Amino acid sequence: MIETVFFTGSSNWMLNIVFIIIKIAVVIGVTMLHVMYATYFERKVIGHMQVRLGPMRVGPHGVLQPLADMLKLFFKEDIIPANADKPVFKIAPIIPVFATLSSLAVIPFFEGFVIANINIGLLYIFAMSSLSAYGVVMAGWASNSKYSFLGGLRSSAQVISYEVAMGLSLVGVMILSGSLNLSEIVNAQQGYWYGMFLIPQFVAYFVFLVAMFAETNRTPFDLPEAESELVAGYFVEYSGMRFALYYAAEYIGMIIMSSIAVICFWGGWTLPPMLTDAIPALKAVPGIVWFLGKVYFHIFLYYWVRATVPRYRYDKLMALGWKVLIPLALANIVVTSIVKYVI
Amino acid sequence: MTIKDIAKKVFLIEIFKGMALTLRMMFTHAVTRQYPEERREPFPGFRGLHALVRNPDGKARCVGCGLCAAICPSQCINIYTSESKDHKKVVDRYEIEVLRCVYCAFCVEACPFGAVVLTPHFEYSDYSRDALYMDKEKLLSNWDKFMTGKRAEEYFERFWRPKLEDFTTPENQPVFRGKEG
Ligand code: SF4
Ligand code: SF4
Repeated sequence: MIETVFFTGSSNWMLNIVFIIIKIAVVIGVTMLHVMYATYFERKVIGHMQVRLGPMRVGPHGVLQPLADMLKLFFKEDIIPANADKPVFKIAPIIPVFATLSSLAVIPFFEGFVIANINIGLLYIFAMSSLSAYGVVMAGWASNSKYSFLGGLRSSAQVISYEVAMGLSLVGVMILSGSLNLSEIVNAQQGYWYGMFLIPQFVAYFVFLVAMFAETNRTPFDLPEAESELVAGYFVEYSGMRFALYYAAEYIGMIIMSSIAVICFWGGWTLPPMLTDAIPALKAVPGIVWFLGKVYFHIFLYYWVRATVPRYRYDKLMALGWKVLIPLALANIVVTSIVKYVI
Repeated sequence: MTIKDIAKKVFLIEIFKGMALTLRMMFTHAVTRQYPEERREPFPGFRGLHALVRNPDGKARCVGCGLCAAICPSQCINIYTSESKDHKKVVDRYEIEVLRCVYCAFCVEACPFGAVVLTPHFEYSDYSRDALYMDKEKLLSNWDKFMTGKRAEEYFERFWRPKLEDFTTPENQPVFRGKEG
């Protein structure tokens, strides 16, 4: 009984709230753990791709490195520049963490496990991911440093242009599934034998992938924090815990974007019906395994691309966004609608 | 643009090639040496900490001519000399501030007696400046510590050759050698 209440809610609102709080704690705890180890694996994977070893010192093969980093960041001095706009400077790092963490609320991790099963899940996630750009812009402005400022400006321009492409790329998915609710999008994919929108929507998936890199400010689109020209971009002036917050937000953002890609294109926690029909034993595996596996693949993709592709030039970035991705996404919408109408 | 070029651009061929390469590299052996555990002999000719050469009689070979101090680009060699009763030059102090040294080995080249050398020893970081201000004693003990065995022999062959040996262009060098005898 408890289980059904846990997943679907009961008429007793007190009980509901308790369960929701437990769920939130679990999700945030697990996500934070993932963030910590995402930094570790990033350094390991990129290290090995560059024929290095990556962290090796703290614990066997450096597995305790994230803990050491966290401790270090925690005890570092929190420096606020003399000419900074202090209230804004202090608030800015909280915004991206807050926004990305709240996006976690609508992500269905496996059948029935979602903190808030709202009908506009996808829109909500877009809203939150644009909101987190405010943290970047505000940091750029409040730091009163030209490097941060340039980083902030670049970020705002980049987010505006790629948000459009990203939103448009998911319209195809919305047309096919007829819903903005993330759980329903996953369930809709089960209606097809291939069980993944990846196959009919491969153009949209490509657009989404590119926009996903741009949206989370990762290489090759990490212009807001281009180390070689802007030192560290918008968070140049941040140190200690506040810097760590930006870092955490970036990694939570990566996890969110990977989850969206998995939910909208890879069938979330499900496997293609074709596969499960062929091997019924697969049905016994809990959905979270598939979900996490697919998310890890996307996070690996982030590392992999970062280790391979150099940073884009700014005008090329803009050109790619407006002249390639948006037309592609629009064409995809037109074709998808026509096909959907005809069939 | 030919069709091939367009196809290359559209399907991101180059990027995928690059990604295949990085993925392959991920499964190759890393070349990293884990330094304090895995050490490597420095290559011959490595320029590390200085040493003053000790003559077989146990004294420093340096005569205090000051050529090394004169040529040193970072001016970090200090030599104090005095005259002894029998009118010989005595080197009272010979000091190198290794923190300022740039390891150019000009001092080694300049010395007409081969009395100062750079040993292959490089692990001598310390917490105080005093420890890195090498006086004569320290420099001589560096010689004892780091120029032992084969290295000392090599050094001997190169600089302490017996006085009667000829100095000629190496045999394998194609040069005009003048008339025999
Ligand atoms: S190695 Fe160069 S810099 Fe160092 S003491 Fe000798 S001459 Fe001076
Ligand atoms: S050049 Fe040689 S002999 Fe002259 S002072 Fe320097 S170390 Fe001594």
